[in-house]
Amino acid sequence: MTSVILQKRTKWQIWQDVIFALFIREIRTGFNDKFGLSWAVINPVAFIVVLSSIRGFINGPYTHSLPTFTFMAIGVLFIQSFLRTLNSCASSIKKNKALFAFRQVQPISAVIAAALFEFLVKIFSATSILVIMYFIGLEIQISDGLSFIANFTLMILLACSLGLFFGIIEQYVSEIGKIREMVSRPMFFISASFFSLQDIPREFWPYLTWNPVLHAIELTRYALMPSYGNEGVSFYYFCAVVLGVLFLSLAVYFVYWKQAISR
Amino acid sequence: MISLKKVTKYYPSALGNQYIFRELSFEIPRGHNIAILGANGSGKSTLFRLIAGSEYPSSGHIRTDVSLSWPVALATGIHPQMTGRENARFIARINGVENLFAYEERILAFSELGVQFDLPVKSYSSGMRSRLAFACSIGIDFDVYLIDEVTSVGDAKFRSRAKEALMEIRKGANIIMVSHQMNELRHFCDSAIVLDRGQLTFHNDLEQGIKRYQAL
Repeated sequence: MTSVILQKRTKWQIWQDVIFALFIREIRTGFNDKFGLSWAVINPVAFIVVLSSIRGFINGPYTHSLPTFTFMAIGVLFIQSFLRTLNSCASSIKKNKALFAFRQVQPISAVIAAALFEFLVKIFSATSILVIMYFIGLEIQISDGLSFIANFTLMILLACSLGLFFGIIEQYVSEIGKIREMVSRPMFFISASFFSLQDIPREFWPYLTWNPVLHAIELTRYALMPSYGNEGVSFYYFCAVVLGVLFLSLAVYFVYWKQAISR
Repeated sequence: MISLKKVTKYYPSALGNQYIFRELSFEIPRGHNIAILGANGSGKSTLFRLIAGSEYPSSGHIRTDVSLSWPVALATGIHPQMTGRENARFIARINGVENLFAYEERILAFSELGVQFDLPVKSYSSGMRSRLAFACSIGIDFDVYLIDEVTSVGDAKFRSRAKEALMEIRKGANIIMVSHQMNELRHFCDSAIVLDRGQLTFHNDLEQGIKRYQAL
């Protein structure tokens, strides 16, 4: 028999190895039907085309000075990324529970691997939407690229933190999972994904602007085209929410993870 | 050596916490091949999973200075939609095996899965699955192997090969084993830990342990 040598690894290397192995596993098992990765592209594109043609029918090719297609593309892509990352991070702990038999595998590695996988998928979708926009001759203009990247990354971070939080809590009270699904469904409608905050009468703003995802989407549209305007949304508020939720979820994780997988 | 310090372990249930161990302090000596004996539900598997770090005690500490395998049960960490080879690579990556190809070859040779090695595990029979799981753990060199009734599945040929492999392993490493088949335990183990009502007793002589266990 050939000999198998074990590496001496530092803790950091073990983490890397585990996350990499889980990531590969996600890729391998994430797309199991015949559509495969292409579904991750077809699904949002179909949404965007339908929604933007409805909106285009109502108020023409431009919505608040952004091309309607771009407007919808940002909305749908962002809200779908948020919801999918949130749900797959939250369910990754339960899904990978058998793997925690390996003491090297900790729940947070599973969450990180799931988040990386969703991130990868979304990069594919975003790229293919860009390609589609290029071929149908839409102008692609990003006036503040850094702000675009910051908004997207922070929103994904928010989704991961919430996912980690729910994933741990659901190990204790599994009904929370159902509540998470119920609560996350209307997010599609209240996060400015297919309307702008400017379309809503001002007296309703206080009911909508608590939602950090709405801030992320509106700020990103503003980052593409300054004439879109950023009234009513605040990058500062968005960052504060992300930081707060990240802290809360890491704190909950730190305290509860060992018992969460020992139940 | 594995030492348990004031380990308390309970599982929450509808009827309050079900205690498996209370304030248990114990040292599992090194250099023995140990059989863990105990009635159903006495906490053999829990003890196993605690030692392996798959679960954590509700309070207390477990310390060890040897490299332990994961608790090798029938299908730990085997994903049904991945092929045998992919599963083997996954386990190898997690455990930090340096040469993945050598490890794969070793698994393939030992499990005798042949072409099936490259097919999804969901198409395997249960015997084939446990062959894969067993081969994956045997393929890595640990100081102590934790084996939970794996050798009792599989066909006669695989069982004899597994026995051979375990005998080979015993030369350089130790095993801790859970099984209800005394013949098997007599084959591999030389001492015993008897579990009774949350207390552990170590018996240097296996026969003595078996006697005690059967008298329970």
